[in-house]
Amino acid sequence: MSFLTLTNASFAYPNGYKAVDRVNMSFNKGESVAIVGQNGAGKTTTVKMMNGLLKPSEGDVVIDGWNTRDYTTAQISRKVGYVFQNPDDQIFHNDVYSEIEFGPRKLGLPEEQVKANVMKAAELAGVVPFLKDNPYNLPYSMRKFVTIASVIAMDSSVIILDEPTAGQDLPAMERLANLIETLNQEGKTIITITHDMEFVVNNFHRVIVMANRQVIADDDKRAIFWNLDVLERAMLKQPHISRLGYSLGIGHNILAIPELADELAKHK
Amino acid sequence: MSIITIKNLSYQYPISESDALKDVSVTIERGKLYALVGANGGGKTTLCNVIRGFIPHFYKGDLRGEVLIEGKDIREWGMGELSQKVGYVFQNPFTQISGVKDNVFEEIAFGLENLGMEPGLIREKVDQVIRMLEIDYLRDKNPFELSGGQKQRVALASIIVMEPDVLVIDEPTSQLDPKGTEEVFKIIELMKNKGKTIILVEHKIELIAEYADYIILLNEGEVAMQGSTREILTDERALTFGAALPQYSLFGMEMRRRGMDLGSIPLTEKEAIEAVKTWMKKGVNA
Amino acid sequence: MNNERSMLSRLYPTTKFMITIALCLAAFIVPGYGFSYAVLPICMVLAYFAGSFKEFSNLAIKALLMIVVFIFILQSFFYPGHDILWSWGIFSIKREGVEFALFLTSKIVAVASAFILFFRITKVKDLVHSLEQIGLPSKVTYVILSTLQLIPEMKKLTLVIMDAQKTRGVETEGKLLVRMKAFLPTLSPLILGSVASTEERVLTLESRAFSANVKKSSIYTLEKTKYDRLVQILLIVLLAILIVWRVAL
Repeated sequence: MSFLTLTNASFAYPNGYKAVDRVNMSFNKGESVAIVGQNGAGKTTTVKMMNGLLKPSEGDVVIDGWNTRDYTTAQISRKVGYVFQNPDDQIFHNDVYSEIEFGPRKLGLPEEQVKANVMKAAELAGVVPFLKDNPYNLPYSMRKFVTIASVIAMDSSVIILDEPTAGQDLPAMERLANLIETLNQEGKTIITITHDMEFVVNNFHRVIVMANRQVIADDDKRAIFWNLDVLERAMLKQPHISRLGYSLGIGHNILAIPELADELAKHK
Repeated sequence: MSIITIKNLSYQYPISESDALKDVSVTIERGKLYALVGANGGGKTTLCNVIRGFIPHFYKGDLRGEVLIEGKDIREWGMGELSQKVGYVFQNPFTQISGVKDNVFEEIAFGLENLGMEPGLIREKVDQVIRMLEIDYLRDKNPFELSGGQKQRVALASIIVMEPDVLVIDEPTSQLDPKGTEEVFKIIELMKNKGKTIILVEHKIELIAEYADYIILLNEGEVAMQGSTREILTDERALTFGAALPQYSLFGMEMRRRGMDLGSIPLTEKEAIEAVKTWMKKGVNA
Repeated sequence: MNNERSMLSRLYPTTKFMITIALCLAAFIVPGYGFSYAVLPICMVLAYFAGSFKEFSNLAIKALLMIVVFIFILQSFFYPGHDILWSWGIFSIKREGVEFALFLTSKIVAVASAFILFFRITKVKDLVHSLEQIGLPSKVTYVILSTLQLIPEMKKLTLVIMDAQKTRGVETEGKLLVRMKAFLPTLSPLILGSVASTEERVLTLESRAFSANVKKSSIYTLEKTKYDRLVQILLIVLLAILIVWRVAL
């Protein structure tokens, strides 16, 4: 059954500018979904409607039976966690531990539970060595992991990551991949906005493509990355290996290196 | 001819307990594009800051070894003087606008005004850069109201207009979407073709494979590997030092592992297509 | 360049400032409170010709009304005096108090209107530019300009930080106390964020040769026109006449 549903949800700013236009999406528990599209396509506005930061100007957003109109973001934060694009907007404590601890404590969890959540989140995000450090002394990419940990610690059923891959290096990408998989296996729904198509190929099955304030495709990654019409409308490119397969005219569903090698082996 | 020579450079930030750069020796040739790669925290930005003179002029700390820009030690260059020699563009589009100009044209002119250039000449140069970078449609906009990608291009224009010989560009695209990234790289390519020396920090390794002449791989403050782009990006050891390799190289390596060696490790899409085509032909003939 | 801008708003900033000063001086030269109060409508007329009547009137009236009413109440009841006009219990309005309130508020109205007018019809950019021409160091003018530009940015940032805190379970909607409690934690990322971005902005400025040891030039120009001279002479003549008239009186 769908856990989080957007029905014909639109969002218009007070000045009348419509940032999202009649979007329909639904997510099951334990799903992991990537949202892709250029900036300005409406991705961030859409996910901000999922945790009540923005209330739809038309249509409905329902989470686990709650219509976001009837609840404040603070209340919804039990169910939907959201990691901001820029970690500096989010961090407000002098040490990493307090930062991570803030959310679960605010939810009123018992002391031991808070502690357990913090340690688990810190471990997943790889920030355990920095728990006593001031977050502002950490490099940007590590600050991002601090904010990810502080949302994981709230143990919400849905976690939204807004461009977690921006400016991350190889080890960080691996840590992100691992974190998404672990949370997924625990039954959490992970919704990730990203510009990195390789990251999508490696870590997600379902992909939602947004362009011009609307959803233009919502399908399995293989179908999406070989739908050149959709990609063109969204001004996106195929992942590198798919592009290579396409240029070579072989295998119309290749996404990753082993698949391409398999396909070539057949041609030999 | 080398424009920057770094010998046995070590540097320690003021409150830090260990060196951020350890015994770094690098020579930068005029007119080439150098990519600094490696895991975050490896010293890429610190090295940029040294080349731009922010270390030691702005960040104090302990600088040992030699850093020569056109033969003159970095400690002897003045900051204003250096700004005409080495241009610097960094990651955050939001802090790279002067904050005192209400339109893009004047924003780009700001650096030349600071150099006291004659207004007529400034207008001419700004016009030129705006045309070259194809940002004419932004001319009258308020810099604060631009998108991230637009801000980043204005930041590049503001530096390029000062005509430095060297451009240090630190992660210009990490906050941008694919379209913004493409536009920024178009500008980088343009500058390369104009003969500028470019030092670029960038995580998108496929783009580096496409544009860079040389790669310097930094790991934990040390130069772990350096050499031509081909040398470094076809070497699997780069992975162990925390650098990424292009999908195309990884593909070539996988083929090699499976006993289907393409004959060479491709770096770019174009090379990969060529390599596979040749390989398939050979297969048919055999 | 901009032909739509009226003659008045095209005047050089220092000329506009002279108008303001002249209005203030006149308010103190002319005896009584009538003229001082009249400075407000005079400014409104001037604002009308500068094309910002509505903005000026709104701001001036809103800002001044509160102050004037407050001073009137305070002074008429508490100014020491004997001539009681009206009393209620231990409270009484004295004539001296009313007179003093009239004097004080009329001068405040005059000076404030003149200055509000100045800032309404002068772009900050023009003002700072002319200050630089007079010889104010560029570091000082940078601080003035960037601060003014950054205020709206800070406001936006505060809203983003508030949002971030909502998602961590901080309740920001509802009673004043709730909102106050929510506001406090926004301060630290706001301050730390500004410190961090200040550092980057210094690098930006250095990259743009801000500290170069030469006299800066500017592609933004403001011309003094013959109207500036005309207005300046007119103002001086009017003031001189006022002073002569006042002394002769």
